[in-house]
Amino acid sequence: MTPTHFTISSAFLLGMMGLAFHRTHLLSALLCLEAMMLALFIALSLWSLQLDATGCSTAPMLMLAFSACEASAGLALLVATARTHGTGHMQALNLLQC
Amino acid sequence: MHPTTLMYTSSLLLMFAVLLYPLLVTFTSLPLNNDWASSHAKTAVKSAFLISLAPLSLFLSTGMEAVTSSWTWMVTTTLDITLSFKFDHYSIIFIPIALYVTWSILEFATWYMHSDPLMNRFFKYLLTFLVAMLILVSANNLFQLFIGWEGVGIMSFLLIGWWHGRADANTAALQAVLYNRVGDIGLILGMAWLATNVNSWDIQQMFILSKDLDMTLPLLGLILAATGKSAQFGLHPWLPAAMEGPTPVSALLHSSTMVVAGIFLLIRMSPLMENNQTALTLCLCLGALTTMFTATCALTQNDIKKIVAFSTSSQLGLMMVTIGLNQPQLAFLHICTHAFFKAMLFLCSGSVIHSLNDEQDIRKMGGLHHLAPFTSSCLTVGSLALTGAPFLAGFFSKDAIIEALNTSHVNAWALTLTLIATSFTAIYSLRVIFFVTMGTPRFLPLSPINENNPAVINPLKRLAWGSIFGGLLVMLNINLFKTPVLTMPAELKLAALAVSVLGLLTALELATLTSKQFKVTPLRTPHHFSTSLGFVPAIIHRQIPQLSLLLGQKIASQMVDQTWLEKTGPKAIANATTPLASATSNMQQGLIKTYLTLFLMTLVLVTLISAT
Repeated sequence: MTPTHFTISSAFLLGMMGLAFHRTHLLSALLCLEAMMLALFIALSLWSLQLDATGCSTAPMLMLAFSACEASAGLALLVATARTHGTGHMQALNLLQC
Repeated sequence: MHPTTLMYTSSLLLMFAVLLYPLLVTFTSLPLNNDWASSHAKTAVKSAFLISLAPLSLFLSTGMEAVTSSWTWMVTTTLDITLSFKFDHYSIIFIPIALYVTWSILEFATWYMHSDPLMNRFFKYLLTFLVAMLILVSANNLFQLFIGWEGVGIMSFLLIGWWHGRADANTAALQAVLYNRVGDIGLILGMAWLATNVNSWDIQQMFILSKDLDMTLPLLGLILAATGKSAQFGLHPWLPAAMEGPTPVSALLHSSTMVVAGIFLLIRMSPLMENNQTALTLCLCLGALTTMFTATCALTQNDIKKIVAFSTSSQLGLMMVTIGLNQPQLAFLHICTHAFFKAMLFLCSGSVIHSLNDEQDIRKMGGLHHLAPFTSSCLTVGSLALTGAPFLAGFFSKDAIIEALNTSHVNAWALTLTLIATSFTAIYSLRVIFFVTMGTPRFLPLSPINENNPAVINPLKRLAWGSIFGGLLVMLNINLFKTPVLTMPAELKLAALAVSVLGLLTALELATLTSKQFKVTPLRTPHHFSTSLGFVPAIIHRQIPQLSLLLGQKIASQMVDQTWLEKTGPKAIANATTPLASATSNMQQGLIKTYLTLFLMTLVLVTLISAT
């Protein structure tokens, strides 16, 4: 695969691994989520540049808009968790654990 | 102006002035002297009566009728209303009789209401009522009549609720106003139709201009007005309930003057009704039903005033029957004679009630024949006049009505009902006399039986003279407009007398049976029908509002709240998603890290396998 392809895929994968193997803080999971979104954004931007396909030029903007919404939702959940559970640690969210 | 007309007009003006002067005195801020009621009010009515004898004698000697139009009240492009008075056969004869009866009642009321601190206000109300009644009777246009109509209605309300601390009196007054209002709708309908189609409210113009028109709708409106004001069947419950007022009120308003206003309206409008068979038949059947129904209800009442009230209602039904026979003058005659003996019956009841310390139940009276002989004699005379005993006052009008009924081609059902009601009249009259005056006393020993006060004796005496000779005097001095049928089979001629005597004998038999246990248990069903007043108040005053309120509750609470808002509307979404959400959350157990790690592993594996 091309270096660009490899870079983007590995950035995405690293972000996903950070999300999956999070240790304590919810915020770190959200940051990794943002990193995934960033990798995807760069991928979409390079898509239209590398392939000279001007038809999908707007895709990165849309992507960014949705990622912003999702990030704000995630931060709101973080704040709500901090309010109700006192901490932002993941082990506080154990209400459904048997 | 012709001297006779001048005499009529000036007498009426003087009468109004004499009657209004005591009222205007009360509007100044001077305190009234203690005997204002007897010195001013009663004297005013007595003077008014004496003044009204002048037009009466002039009318009897010349037979001249007059219409006076004076001050123009309103001028619109289409309708003019002036102040106009009609001095015809009906108003000239009725006004002296009404004033005579009112004079007697006011004198009686000075004794009856003696202990009431607001006695002067009572007399003021009675005077205001009298003025409104005179306006109604002498009116030549419907607008003036309506003023008098509403005036008597509102004074009836104020006087029925005189003892307003009593809840029953307030509901009775409200009943009177509501039922009269329903009748007023009919009157306004008639007035509106006449204003738009005949373009006039003057009686003379209406009669001429409506010769070719179909008058069914306004006549139905006027009959509805009479049903409301004169307590015909359908709008009748207010009249027995109106007995909550003091006895002078019952004697004046609800026997002699106010309740005959509806019949008087129909008598005035009778030329409009002559050719309309629908209206005549409606009057006939309504009157027959009223007289029969109320006479049935009167049979088992135990309150002396209620019996007399139902008796009034029955006689009003008889007047309505007479109008339905196209004999308005006979109805008017019955109004005049009825005023005498009905007022006297009420005054006797009042005297008895006060003598027995405000006891109104006839089962707790008795033996007053020896203890209050004058009152008992007047009660007997009044009851005999009511049943139409030959040659007393009631005979001349009642017998004439029944003869007219028998010899005309009418509804046999109406005829039968009227005859049965006539016999019932004898029955309940005898029941009153039996329980009140005969037998042994059933009241407490220390009852303040005293009829020695001239304020009691003189009115009763005057009304007794009226009950005995009133019919004869009126009959001798008037000309009958329609020729009565004078020849008929003997059975028809004696029918009224026969049914009354039959009723009397039946009642005597039943009355003497009360002390022998002929039947161990009485017949419950007809008794319940009669005592519960035909279930009319129970159904209309209680059942129908209850159903309406239940319907309202069902709509508001069950339909809107429970069905629309909870089951199908906003709360439905909540109620539907809550089980789904709880099921889902039961399935998920936490362990986010494990799930995400597994997901990542799977993803990597798939990528590696598909890459090779």
